[in-house]
Amino acid sequence: MSSGSTQRAVGDVLAGFERHVTQDRVNVYAEASGDHNPIHLDEAYAATTQFETRIAHGMLSLALVTEMLASEFPESWHKGGKLKVRFSAPVFTGEIVATYGEIISISETDEGTVATCSIGCKKSDGTDAVSGRATVLLE
Amino acid sequence: MTAPLISTAVIGHEFGPYDVTIPADRAIAYAEAVGGSESPAYGDTLAPIMVVAAALTVLIEDLGLYSGGLQTIHAGQEVSWARQVRIGERVEAVGRLASNSVRRGNHFATVVVSYTDSNGVEIGTSSTTIIVSGEASS
Repeated sequence: MSSGSTQRAVGDVLAGFERHVTQDRVNVYAEASGDHNPIHLDEAYAATTQFETRIAHGMLSLALVTEMLASEFPESWHKGGKLKVRFSAPVFTGEIVATYGEIISISETDEGTVATCSIGCKKSDGTDAVSGRATVLLE
Repeated sequence: MTAPLISTAVIGHEFGPYDVTIPADRAIAYAEAVGGSESPAYGDTLAPIMVVAAALTVLIEDLGLYSGGLQTIHAGQEVSWARQVRIGERVEAVGRLASNSVRRGNHFATVVVSYTDSNGVEIGTSSTTIIVSGEASS
């Protein structure tokens, strides 16, 4: 784990991790975020929706991705980091997801050396739940 | 039933300001929900995405998306952040409806949000795109 620009190169893979998205985790996230939408919490309600069961908050999946970025770039992610993602598929409670990332370009800007990373979060069947790009200063 | 704001709001509509100060108990809940052995040590600071999530929650309420019959899909998210935020530090969020269109009976809306500290300095921005379906939304 490092944020030094000299140690980074295009093609570097970020250290992803897996997370079991249990209903307990979703319930606690609801307390943290204040988002008590019943589609995340109430199985009877969720059964009436297009998903037919409870789904995790999209922002929970994104939070996992940002945990990876914060671990990889502890000095700079929270100071100038940017991301743009789309939510491609719902994560159902009980699923295991895996975050991933890779540096796809490094460029010099007025702000310094910037790495652009492809980032995301995949479900166990390989489907992207979250996918997009992040940029972070390397120095 | 009153039409939800998503049905009537025009581009440029402003939301907030919202106080999205995150107290310690919510920060602890966030760490429990999201964290793991590989997570960074935040100390007395917050993951910025938590502030964004808190703002998004109140925005969704203001847009009337908890109204019966509506189903909301969070389609996209952008975030940029300038500095770390401390637990309990006052942060204010102001949103603006950047787009709101109807296609095939679904609303596609984007709300951009600016986050400022107690000195009025912008410390982050976000942009959220949502798709809303349901009879009441059209």
